[in-house]
Amino acid sequence: MIQGTWIVQCGGVGMVAQLTALERTYAAIILVCVICVGVAMAVAGRGDLMAAHGWIVALFGMVVMALLLRGIDAPDPWEERFREYYDDPTKVGIILSLIWGVIGMFVGVWVAALLAWPDLTFDAAWASFGRLRPVHTSGVIFGFGGNALIATSFHVLQRTTRARLPDQLSPWFVLLGYNLFCVLAATGYLMGLTQSKEYAEPEWYADLWLVIVWVVYFLIYLRTLARRREPHIYVANWYYMAFILVVAILHIVNNLAVPVSIGHAKSYSLFSGVQDAMTQWWYGHNAVAFFLTAGFLGMLYYYLPKRAGRPIYSYRMSIISFWGITFMYMWAGSHHLHYTALPHWVQTLGMVFSLVLLVPSWASAGNALLTLNGAWHKVRDDAVLRFMMLAAIFYGIATFEGSFMAIRAVNSLSHYTDWTVGHVHAGALGWVAMITFGSLYALVPWMWKRPALYSARLVEVHFWLALAGTVVYVFAMWNSGITQGLMWRTYDQNGTLAYSFIDTLVAMHPYYIARTVGGLLFLAGAVVAFYNIWMTISRPAPVDEGAAADLPVEPPAPRAWAQAGE
Amino acid sequence: MSFDHDTVTGFAKSFGLFYLIAMSIGVIIYAYWPANRKQFDHAAHSIISDDEDRPCP
Amino acid sequence: MFNFHYRLERNAMGLVLAIVVVASIGGLIEIAPLFTIDETVEDAPDMRVYTPLELAGRNIYIREGCYACHSQMIRTLRDEVERYGPYSLAVESKYDHPMLWGSKRTGPDIARLGGKYSNEWHVAHLYNPRDLVPESKMPAYRWLMRNALKIGDLGEHLAAMRAVGVPYTDDMIANATADAYGQANPDSAQSAGVTARYGESTNVSLFDGKPETLTEMDAIVAYLQILGRLTDVAQKTEQANVE
Ligand code: HEM
Ligand code: HEM
Repeated sequence: MIQGTWIVQCGGVGMVAQLTALERTYAAIILVCVICVGVAMAVAGRGDLMAAHGWIVALFGMVVMALLLRGIDAPDPWEERFREYYDDPTKVGIILSLIWGVIGMFVGVWVAALLAWPDLTFDAAWASFGRLRPVHTSGVIFGFGGNALIATSFHVLQRTTRARLPDQLSPWFVLLGYNLFCVLAATGYLMGLTQSKEYAEPEWYADLWLVIVWVVYFLIYLRTLARRREPHIYVANWYYMAFILVVAILHIVNNLAVPVSIGHAKSYSLFSGVQDAMTQWWYGHNAVAFFLTAGFLGMLYYYLPKRAGRPIYSYRMSIISFWGITFMYMWAGSHHLHYTALPHWVQTLGMVFSLVLLVPSWASAGNALLTLNGAWHKVRDDAVLRFMMLAAIFYGIATFEGSFMAIRAVNSLSHYTDWTVGHVHAGALGWVAMITFGSLYALVPWMWKRPALYSARLVEVHFWLALAGTVVYVFAMWNSGITQGLMWRTYDQNGTLAYSFIDTLVAMHPYYIARTVGGLLFLAGAVVAFYNIWMTISRPAPVDEGAAADLPVEPPAPRAWAQAGE
Repeated sequence: MSFDHDTVTGFAKSFGLFYLIAMSIGVIIYAYWPANRKQFDHAAHSIISDDEDRPCP
Repeated sequence: MFNFHYRLERNAMGLVLAIVVVASIGGLIEIAPLFTIDETVEDAPDMRVYTPLELAGRNIYIREGCYACHSQMIRTLRDEVERYGPYSLAVESKYDHPMLWGSKRTGPDIARLGGKYSNEWHVAHLYNPRDLVPESKMPAYRWLMRNALKIGDLGEHLAAMRAVGVPYTDDMIANATADAYGQANPDSAQSAGVTARYGESTNVSLFDGKPETLTEMDAIVAYLQILGRLTDVAQKTEQANVE
């Protein structure tokens, strides 16, 4: 009985059995299409790297098909399922997010080590800095962050609308389709396939695929909202929707390109030069805004009040900051192009809006912290809540720093240096990763109906590893960035430049080692998180009477089947 | 009216400011509109209520 | 009841529309004028397009992620102009699909690298940067020397570039493969066509030092040698905006 529950809840077969026969049929049809597309790509792209991607697509389709076939003839799920939320995709999304997180951060540490010891490439093209770096950035942003966003958005959407997801197939399409995109991205970089546009590196066919996935994702949102039982749409959903919608707009525009041919992976961007620069950084900055900020604010606005057991301090303020962020970020992209060939007035416009942007940003961070005001004892005792609090603080720091760096004169120093990298990771480690870990820690016991995580001690350990890692990383980069920026512009008494470029590089070396150490601490924390969550899930659920009431009622038909399969 | 570079730039430079102001006013009115207060309060509290974790029938 | 549902759905669509409108106007208004910028941007009548070999080299530069560490955008700051040369003008990257301005200088800016070092220096440097610059953080790119360059489909590449607006002629597209070969083999029959099509000053040379084979090293060095030299408008115009 316990094992049966375990299989139904966690095993792939049990998840397939939750699909109706019709949904399973559609899934099979879609997978056949995916496999065919993969083979077609392999054929059309003979002699080009696209063939390799074709095989990867086909293989991906076959693996999912194999999982599907194992449960294809299971009886239809019990009608009672409509009395429950549909959480299977969320569960898988959580696991995928953690896996990508560990991979992405591991590559991050590797990339960091390469800057200290450049010969760690071992004469292998795929292991060189330029190819691994996007594996790191896409791995953590899209793999770790994106999966966490998809998983939590399905959870939050259902809870706040009090409606079940509209069907059981489309969420899987989104989750697995998205991960196929991530796989194409990461394997592509290793083989040398990239458009070179930061955070939009994947080539044209992967981009097209993402558009399809994204449209389905958006439709899930709309269809669930249409069925909602709460008249007001809770603000967390606004942020998730802005994330979905704006990322779609950005993605489509910035990736417009003409492929060399239908059988070539390579494409040429529709834009060039200064227009391309502006489009790219309009995209790049708003990827930060709507991927790394809006989506995660959605998480913050749901999981933090929920975990603290207190409503958000000011709901109105959350609305005002929402529109502020949605509006102003879009103008700010040009602060990535100060003192370049971009017209001066565009730079100024970007700078001004970046400064005003601090207002809604701090309103959000303040709102989160004020929500905790009066619950500090919980923050002291509960490391999960402390992750969220720290995230809000780092969000405040990163946005203050960002607005500061957007000032032209400051940017003249910071641009091109490690200061930018320090800013990035204050946001990425301190904000994005912390809020993600906090939310996932809160979510896991709810999803798997466990009374608590496997170990609160390990959460505590992770918390301190993450904090220490972030602080070491960020301080190392602030120091190296500002040092380098200043050295570049130092003149000696004769009025000539005092330092050669190599002089500045030598000065960076100790900081690069420190950053590697900080990254290692952070990575260790992520591994601890993975272990803790894995142990939470894999230990059988307790069956004491009190908790049993919370468990889903055992559906009669699948049970008979699950036992047979044991 | 011609769409030469100067016109377009002039528009871009000035429009943002007006748009920003109009937008802020609109949002603040919406957020502080007395009739909206109830639904906001309700929304803020609704997520932390300890109702059973099930969709509405 | 009907009405109630109607309102619910209207709310959701309203929110969607509002987000799209609020978010897209900013970008549109700000980016639109850049597409009329040709009216104001410096003109460079002498500017030429990348040769097929240089384009192949550029694609290798992209493939290896060189842009992650090297910028190609000298800002209008005094120390940058003194360190790297005249600041970059918009027109100089007008054939760059996409642009490779970069955002991080782990290595120095290379917008004006062309002609600064010899081919031999580049080959040795790419083979192992630390042989020439002991403190360098740059990876060694030995495989560029090992890999044969793929040139059979360069015509298609040029055609795609033409589709996005770069003025390649039919002649250039038809002869792309031969030109790539000729540019890296000055003694070959194909080399005359390169200068005929891309101009007398085109750099025709044994880039990797080996006449027999055309390697990826040939292409990347050819590309590095053209950086900043598609036009000399930056050298000729007064650098008025240095801050
Ligand atoms: C174990 C932790 C991590 C380590 C050691 C690490 C290390 C690095 C390194 C070495 C770089 C390249 C910097 C350069 O080119 O000079 C980098 C870039 C980057 N990383 Fe990380 N990283 C970590 C975690 C993360 C996380 C969790 C995120 C996002 C959620 C992230 C996002 C980024 C981004 C966006 C960049 C590109 C920055 C830019 O272009 O300016 N990193 N990281
Ligand atoms: C008010 C909010 C913010 C403003 C005004 C802002 C501004 C800036 C500025 C001026 C830069 C440097 C551009 C350059 O010199 O190249 C930058 C880079 C960056 N920021 Fe922020 N920032 C903000 C918040 C954040 C947050 C919360 C994150 C979250 C992770 C973030 C992630 C990044 C990334 C990834 C880059 C590097 C882009 C690249 O060069 O690849 N920013 N930001």
